[in-house]
Amino acid sequence: METYISLAHGDGGELSHRLIRDIFVSAFGDKNAVMFDAAAITMATHKIAVTTDSFVIKPIFFPGGSIGKLAVAGTVNDLAVSGAKPAYLTCGFVIEEGFPISNLKKIVTDMANEAKKSGVTIVAGDTKVVERGSADGVYINTTGIGVYQPEIGCSLEFAEGDAVIVSGTIGDHGIAVLTARGELGITAPVNSDCASLNNMLEAILKDTSGIKIMRDPTRGGLATTLVEIAEDFQLTINIQETAIPVKAEVHGVCDLLGYDPLYLANEGKAIIIVSAKEKDKVVEILRKFPEGKDAAIIGSISSKEKGRLLLETPLGAKRLLTRLSGTMFPRIC
Amino acid sequence: MRSAVNIAVHGRVQGVGFRPFVFQLAQKLSLQGTVQNNMDGVKIYLEGEKSAIEEFLTDLKTKAPRLSKIHNIIVEDSELKSAEAFSIIESDRHGTSMLVIPIDSAVCDDCLREMNDPEDFRYQYPFINCTQCGPRYTIIDELPYDRPYTSMGGFPMCDDCRKEYEDPTNRRHHAQPIACPKCGPKVTLLDSNGQVYEAENSIEVTIRLLKAGKIIAIKGIGGYHLSCDARNEQAVATLRKRKNRPNRPLAVMAASIAAAKEFAEISQSETDLLRSPEAPIVILKKNRRYPLAESVAKGMRTIGVMLPYSPLHYLLFADPELSCLVMTSANPSGLPILYRDDEVFQYLSGIADFYLVHNREILHPVDDSVVQLNNGKLDFFRRSRGYVPDPFTTEQDVTGIVGFGGQQKTTFTIGRNEQIFIGPHIGDLENIETINHYRHELDHLLKWIDIPKTTAVIDAHPGYQVRNVVKEYDFSEVVEVQHHHAHMAACIEEHHIPGRAFGIILDGTGYGPDGNIWGFEILYGDAAQYERMAHLCYTPLPGGEKCILEPWRNAAAMLIQLLGEDGVRLAQTIFSDKEREINVLKKLIEHNLNTVYAGTCGRLFDAVSAICGVTKVSSYDGEAAIQLAELVDENNNFEPYSFDLQKEKMMMINFSSMLKELADDVIKKKQISLISGRFHETVVQAIVLTMDELLMKNPSAEKNVVLSGGSFHNRYLRKRITNELQARGFQVFVPESIPCNDGGLSYGQLAVAAAKRRS
Ligand SMILES: [Fe+3]
Ligand SMILES: [Mg+2]
Ligand SMILES: [Zn+2]
Ligand SMILES: [Zn+2]
Repeated sequence: METYISLAHGDGGELSHRLIRDIFVSAFGDKNAVMFDAAAITMATHKIAVTTDSFVIKPIFFPGGSIGKLAVAGTVNDLAVSGAKPAYLTCGFVIEEGFPISNLKKIVTDMANEAKKSGVTIVAGDTKVVERGSADGVYINTTGIGVYQPEIGCSLEFAEGDAVIVSGTIGDHGIAVLTARGELGITAPVNSDCASLNNMLEAILKDTSGIKIMRDPTRGGLATTLVEIAEDFQLTINIQETAIPVKAEVHGVCDLLGYDPLYLANEGKAIIIVSAKEKDKVVEILRKFPEGKDAAIIGSISSKEKGRLLLETPLGAKRLLTRLSGTMFPRIC
Repeated sequence: MRSAVNIAVHGRVQGVGFRPFVFQLAQKLSLQGTVQNNMDGVKIYLEGEKSAIEEFLTDLKTKAPRLSKIHNIIVEDSELKSAEAFSIIESDRHGTSMLVIPIDSAVCDDCLREMNDPEDFRYQYPFINCTQCGPRYTIIDELPYDRPYTSMGGFPMCDDCRKEYEDPTNRRHHAQPIACPKCGPKVTLLDSNGQVYEAENSIEVTIRLLKAGKIIAIKGIGGYHLSCDARNEQAVATLRKRKNRPNRPLAVMAASIAAAKEFAEISQSETDLLRSPEAPIVILKKNRRYPLAESVAKGMRTIGVMLPYSPLHYLLFADPELSCLVMTSANPSGLPILYRDDEVFQYLSGIADFYLVHNREILHPVDDSVVQLNNGKLDFFRRSRGYVPDPFTTEQDVTGIVGFGGQQKTTFTIGRNEQIFIGPHIGDLENIETINHYRHELDHLLKWIDIPKTTAVIDAHPGYQVRNVVKEYDFSEVVEVQHHHAHMAACIEEHHIPGRAFGIILDGTGYGPDGNIWGFEILYGDAAQYERMAHLCYTPLPGGEKCILEPWRNAAAMLIQLLGEDGVRLAQTIFSDKEREINVLKKLIEHNLNTVYAGTCGRLFDAVSAICGVTKVSSYDGEAAIQLAELVDENNNFEPYSFDLQKEKMMMINFSSMLKELADDVIKKKQISLISGRFHETVVQAIVLTMDELLMKNPSAEKNVVLSGGSFHNRYLRKRITNELQARGFQVFVPESIPCNDGGLSYGQLAVAAAKRRS
C-alpha cells in the first residue's frame, strides 16, 4: 500500500475502494454497511437522538488521545449527556493530499477502539481528499444516533438547592493540546481527559433519580457551559472556587500562560445538576468509574430568577462570570 | 433713606439653613420683608434703611452658612411694600426645577462647642448635629428631605429638641437629624460574637481597647471603618494580615491639625481642605519625624489623613495618648463598603475584635472621599462622601442622559435640565455584591432625580460589566464612547472649554477601536468628536490581565518586543529567577497566543517599576506605578533618557532606547530614585516634543490642552507637563472637581452624549 494519501484516494476509483476496504472496513468491521449506499440499521423503537460534530484539532495526536478518539468520544458524549444511549456513528473524513497513511491507520484504530469501549457501531463513512494546503492534515465529522430510554432521563425541572457536580478535574484537555503543539517549549504536564462517558452517565441515570441536566463542558470550558445553562433556564448558579477540581499541573501552566482553567476545553467531563437529595449518591457512583474518580460537588442553584453564574472566591466575594469571548481584553487598570 | 430691593440667590442655598440665616440677618439689621425658597434658589424682598440693605448684601456673601454655595446674587430695586416685619414665607413652586439632595457634612464648630460643654444637654452626645452639619444623603430614604423619610424617622423628638427644631431663629430649625441623649440614637460596644460588651461607657472602653492594640469596627456616617492605633506597629500589622491587605496604604484619622502635624507636613490650603465640611482624606507628605507605625503606608512618601468628621469620632480622641487612628473602610477586598449591621458580623468575623455600633441606620453607604493638592490644584482620587450627590452646572440641557461609567472605581452620572449628578464611588464591578450595590444606588438616585430614560452611555470595551447592567434599564438608546475620549470630554465639560482642545490622556487601560489597549494618547477635538494624533508604541501583554497583576511579565514582554535578543538578555538578567517563564512569554508573543497589544502609560510605569525592582507583582491596582512615582520628588528636575518619535501621519512614541539605557542603569545598580526621576522626565519630554511636532503640523490648532487619565495623579508628570506646555503658550486644563481616573469616566460619557445630541 502507498505511504501517503493522494488525490486519487478520493476519486471514487480503485484507490478509494482499497482505502475504504483496508482501512475503514477492516477497523470498523461492519461489512454489511458498505455494500449499499446507505447503511441499514435496526434500533429499539423509542425517541431517537441525533447529533453531529466536526473535529479539527492541532496536533492530531496529543497526550491522552488523537483526533480519532476525540471524534468518537465527542459525539458519544453529546448523545450521552442528552440522556440517550449511543448506538451508531457515521464518519466523514476530509484528508489533505500527502497525509501519511500510517497516521490515518492510527486514527482509524483509535476510533475503532473508542467505539468498542463505548459500545457504538460505526456504520457508514465517507472520505474526501483535498489538494495540499486546502486542509490541515485531516478533519473528521461524526454523526451519532442514540436511543432515549423510557423512564430515565433528565427532567429539566430545577429547584433551589440542586447540586452542581463535575465529573472530574477540569482543563486537562485544553492544557494537553496547547502544550502538545510544541510552540511554547513546555512539555505537556497532563494527558487530555478525552473519553466516552456514556457508560458512566448511564449508570447514574439508571441508579439515581432527580437528575436535572447533564452537559459536557467542551469549548469554552466549565464557565461557559454553566453560563449557558444559567441563562437558558434562568437560574442563578453558585460555584465555589475551592471546590472545583483542577490538577496542580494545570494550575501551574495556567499561571504561567495567563489562562483560566474555568475556560479551558474538556473532552471527558460532564456537568451534572441533580437534586440535593441525590447528590451524594451521584458522586459515589461517578467515583466508581475511572473517568469519574475525581468527581466533586462544586456548587448549587441558589435562585430561580436570574440567569447568571457566580464564583465564590476564597475571600468571600462572588465574581460574576460571563461566557468566553474571543479575546479576553484586560479590564483592570 | 428707606428703600426696597428684590434679591435672587442662586446656588446651593436650600436645605442648608439659608432662610434662617437670612431671617436672623434681617432681624439684626432691622430690615423688613420676606424670604422664600423657589425652584431655582432663594428669593428675598427687603426694605429698610439703604445703608442697612448694603450691609445685608455684604453679609449675605461673607457670612452665609458654611454649607451654602452661592453661584450668583441678582439685586433689583423694588417698590416699597411697607412690610411691617421680616418673615419666612411658603416656598414658591415656579421656575425651573432645581433639585436639592443634601450632602453629609462634618460636625461644625458650634456643635463641637456644645458637645464639649458639661452644662449643655448634649454634652458628649455622639450624634449632635444642626442645619450646618451631620448626616444627610446617607440617611435619606425618600425625598423631600424630611425626618419621617430618613433613618431618624423612628426617633420621636423630645420636647427640648422639638423646641429648637420649630424655632426659626434656632440653628437647629428644621435640622432633620436633630437628636439628644434623651431621644436620639445610642452607641453600644459589642464583642466579636455580637454580644453587648459595654453599653454605658462604650466610648471610654473603646479608647482603652484601642490603646491596648485591639482592632475595632466602628460604624460611622457612610459605613463601617476598621480602626486601630496608628502608632502601634503590631496592631497595624495584625489588621493588614487579617484584612489580607499587605501593601496598600491605610488612611489615618488624626485628632486635630496639630496631631496630624506630628507626622505630616500640612500647608494652609491642606489645612482648609482637612477642616472643610466635606472632610475628605487628604494625601499629605510625611514629615521627617514620622512617629506612626511604618506599615501604615510602607514605601510611601505620603500618607492619607483625615480629621474626625462625626461627633463620635471626636469623642474617640478624648485621651491625648491616642492621637491618631488607622481608619480604613471595613470592606473585605473586592466588596463594597459595609454599612448594614446584619452584614458586619458575617464579613468581619476574624478581622474585628470589637464593634462600636449605633442604632441610626445607614441607608446609603458612601466611602470617604480622597484628594490631594497636585500642582496647587485639587485632585480627586475618589469623590464620594461630602461631595456626592452635589450637582454640577452645565450650559446645556442634559436631561435623560446617564453615563454608566467604567469597570473600576466606577461611578454613574445622571443629567437633568442643566444639572449633572455624579453618584457615589461604587468600586470595581467584578463581584455581584458590587454590581448589586451599583444598581441599588443608581435606582435610588434615578428615582430621586426622576428623568426620562433617554440615553445610556457606556464604554466601548466589550467586556465591561456595565454592558450587562445597562440591559436591565429601559433606555431609548445606548451609546458607546471610547474610554479616553470620555476622560478628555470630562475635563472639557468641567471647564466649559469652548472650541477644540488637545487631550493628553495618560491612563491605565482603555479599549481602543483598533482592538488594542490604549492609554497613552494625544487626542484633538471636543466633547462631540476626537481625532487621535499620537500614541505610545504598542507592546504585547502575553497572558493578558496576568501582565497587569504581575508587572514583571509586562516588563519582560516590553524588553523582548522593543529590544529583540538584546531585550531577552536584559530581561533574563534583571528577572534572573524567571528564566523559564521569560522563554515561554517570548513564545506566547511569537505565536500570538493569549496576547493583546497595549500602549498605555499605566503599563509603561508598571514595566519600569518592575525593571527597577520596585514592584514586580502588584497586590493592589496601580501599586507598581504608585511605588515608582513615590520615589520622585516633583520639585526636582531630571535628565531625560533617549527616546524616538516616529513622525508618520499617526505619530508614535517609542521608548526602546530609554528602556535600554534604563535597564543598563538598573544592572549597574544606579540609584533607583534617580532612574525613576529620569524615566519620569523622559515621559514629559516625549509628550512635549510630540506636542511641538503636532503644533508644527497643525499650525491653526487651538492651543488648549486638557490633561486627564489616572496617570495624572502623578505629581511630577502633572507639574512638569503643565509647566512645559504653559511655557509654550498653551492653556492647560486639569480635572479639579472630578477624578482624572475612571471615577470621572461617567461624567465624561455624559458630556460626549450631550455634545453629540447638540450637534
Ligand atoms: Fe481610564
Ligand atoms: Mg460536541
Ligand atoms: Zn452643627
Ligand atoms: Zn431630644
